[in-house]
Amino acid sequence: MLLFALVYLYPVAYSAWVSFYEWDLAMPARWVGVANYRALASPEFLEVVTNTVTYSVGVVLLSQTAGLALAVLLNDRTRMGALFRASIFSSYVVSWVAVSLLWIWLLDPQYGLVAHLFRLVGLPALNWLGDHRLALWSLVLVTVWKTVGYPMVIYLAGLQAIPGDLYEAAALDGAGGWQRFRHVTWPLLTPTTLFLLITLTITSFQGFDIVKIMTQGGPVTSTVIYVYYIYEQAFQYFKLGRASAAVVLFFTVIVALTFAQWLVFRRRVHYST
Amino acid sequence: MTRAVALVLIVGLLGAAGPAAAQGPIVAQFWYSFGGTNREVTEAHIKRFNESQSKYRIEGTFQGDYFEALAKIRAAAATKTAPAAFHVIGEAVPQLAASGLFENLEPYAKGPNGVNLEDYLPGQTQNTYFDYLGKPPAPLMVLPFFRSTPILYYNADMLAAKGVKVPTTWDELRDAAGKLTVREGSETKVYGFEVPVDWWFWFALLHEAGGSLVTPDGKRAAFREKGTEALQFWVDLVNKDKTMKRPPGKDYNAWTVTNTDFINGKTAMIFTSTAFLNYMTENAKFKLGTAFLPGKVKQAVPTGGTFFVIARDAPTPQKEAGWAFIKWMTEPAQTISLSKATGYMPIRTSAVDSPEMQAFYKQNPNYKTAIDQLRTAQRFPYTPALIEIQREVIQPNLEAAVLGIKSAAEVMQAAEAKANEFLAKQP
Repeated sequence: MLLFALVYLYPVAYSAWVSFYEWDLAMPARWVGVANYRALASPEFLEVVTNTVTYSVGVVLLSQTAGLALAVLLNDRTRMGALFRASIFSSYVVSWVAVSLLWIWLLDPQYGLVAHLFRLVGLPALNWLGDHRLALWSLVLVTVWKTVGYPMVIYLAGLQAIPGDLYEAAALDGAGGWQRFRHVTWPLLTPTTLFLLITLTITSFQGFDIVKIMTQGGPVTSTVIYVYYIYEQAFQYFKLGRASAAVVLFFTVIVALTFAQWLVFRRRVHYST
Repeated sequence: MTRAVALVLIVGLLGAAGPAAAQGPIVAQFWYSFGGTNREVTEAHIKRFNESQSKYRIEGTFQGDYFEALAKIRAAAATKTAPAAFHVIGEAVPQLAASGLFENLEPYAKGPNGVNLEDYLPGQTQNTYFDYLGKPPAPLMVLPFFRSTPILYYNADMLAAKGVKVPTTWDELRDAAGKLTVREGSETKVYGFEVPVDWWFWFALLHEAGGSLVTPDGKRAAFREKGTEALQFWVDLVNKDKTMKRPPGKDYNAWTVTNTDFINGKTAMIFTSTAFLNYMTENAKFKLGTAFLPGKVKQAVPTGGTFFVIARDAPTPQKEAGWAFIKWMTEPAQTISLSKATGYMPIRTSAVDSPEMQAFYKQNPNYKTAIDQLRTAQRFPYTPALIEIQREVIQPNLEAAVLGIKSAAEVMQAAEAKANEFLAKQP
């Protein structure tokens, strides 16, 4: 309990305390009351929130859908299936830094493999990371590429927990592939879906490494997501008070989000009897 | 009985440890921000210093780039564990000095183990780097370490193949970039020109256009008109002519891309620091040329690189060790070997004039460009707002104009307003 308090509660409490000051690490801290929180009600901060929500929605929807599709496709006992599953999951366990560095070069409009492939089929090379309209979505796609193995594996476990006789019964009743999915698979996967929805949302909200390595929040501020914003405010602009206010807000939101999702999905979960 | 024996043993050991500790060399930390070649050179010199005498031992630690290191220095200062010696960019000096981070070096410089401040090249010492804006000079707090200017690097083979002369003015640069760009369909195989869209180069362009950063008394920003001209030059090269590549990435990430593109023959001309000259010379598979930055109304460059400083809160023996080290590093013999191994300038006049360097420059004329360019060096205003103007007002906002999100005029107008806010907070 003491360890829990030290490692979790103390930093949150300390951040809450610092959030009422203006401090740049070098000069002594200056009391400013709620000024830091008021400073968060700015278009600049709103953009950060929008970026984070966009990134999160993109990552969760795409990786969960792709993960489910892959799980359904690769839910077999063949060697090829095992090979595919292992390859897809391997990107999940590799470090974020390695993946980010790799994709910087793959996406480069002059040197990159992706640009080369686009030109081969006659499409113009896109400036994936250098175009402020595209950069955030490029990060979403790289994140999905890296993390899709996780929902895939979780869904595989969920699929294998569905008793085979339910499918047989449905087939006997004349249900085709899509109907079997809609009426047997999908409802019985709701606990898995709920679990992944919560976990992936919280994880995607914490995205940092990919921004730090690939775009550093750029071009301009189009890829500044929440945790990166905190880092920038604290260690590049030395506004520790404002960074702490952002931290406190973040903590509140994550806790509220978890609770809200649990409430909403509580009634939709089907547990097979 | 056993307790008495234990007590005697403890006292005896403590007694032995006392004088033994006082006999070892005084150990002090030196934090630096160089990777790659320059890191190896720095470490080699730390080793040489340690071997040249037995009173002090310096331990060097790499701390990331200049800005990451600044964050760590502040955090260390807050917990009173700052390293005895480190180095900082010139723009950061006034603000950090105001927060009491630096040891006053005047007593050291004038003391028995002092330095002759007259023997340094223009723009290298604190008093020649800063413009004190009509106020009395600040006490000595810094000694020059690795110092540089931006220079024009060009692929001499590409220029010769297309019959392009080395540009000396903005118009010539624009022209040359146009001739050197190679396009195949929708793809640009070679860009004529590339430069990080960065404060340091914008500062050069600002002064080349005849502008200045602040008014002579340092109370208001003065860069709006000429700063817009400078930024607009880049905007046109990237978006209208499409002959300049804007390297992606913030801060030094863009510098790395610029260097890599140049080495790989993806761009014909770049602006970057003379600090990379050694790296370029060793890795370029083409004939490497260097020249002054092209001028407009006049030629002008900022100086760059870093200054040595000593932390005021370090214990006295460590400060002594730090001083001994930084003094040794700026001696002519060391500045010669540091310069030859990197491309940074030797900071002592006696070093530049020495037969060794003169012979070296005859064989390697590229290394002389930055030194010769010093006669066009511009000073920086001594105000704590300087680093804020760099990091919060100019640096993050230049991109928006080059990307076409805002006009150069809009960017500079907003920048001027913000800079005035920061300047108004100063006494």
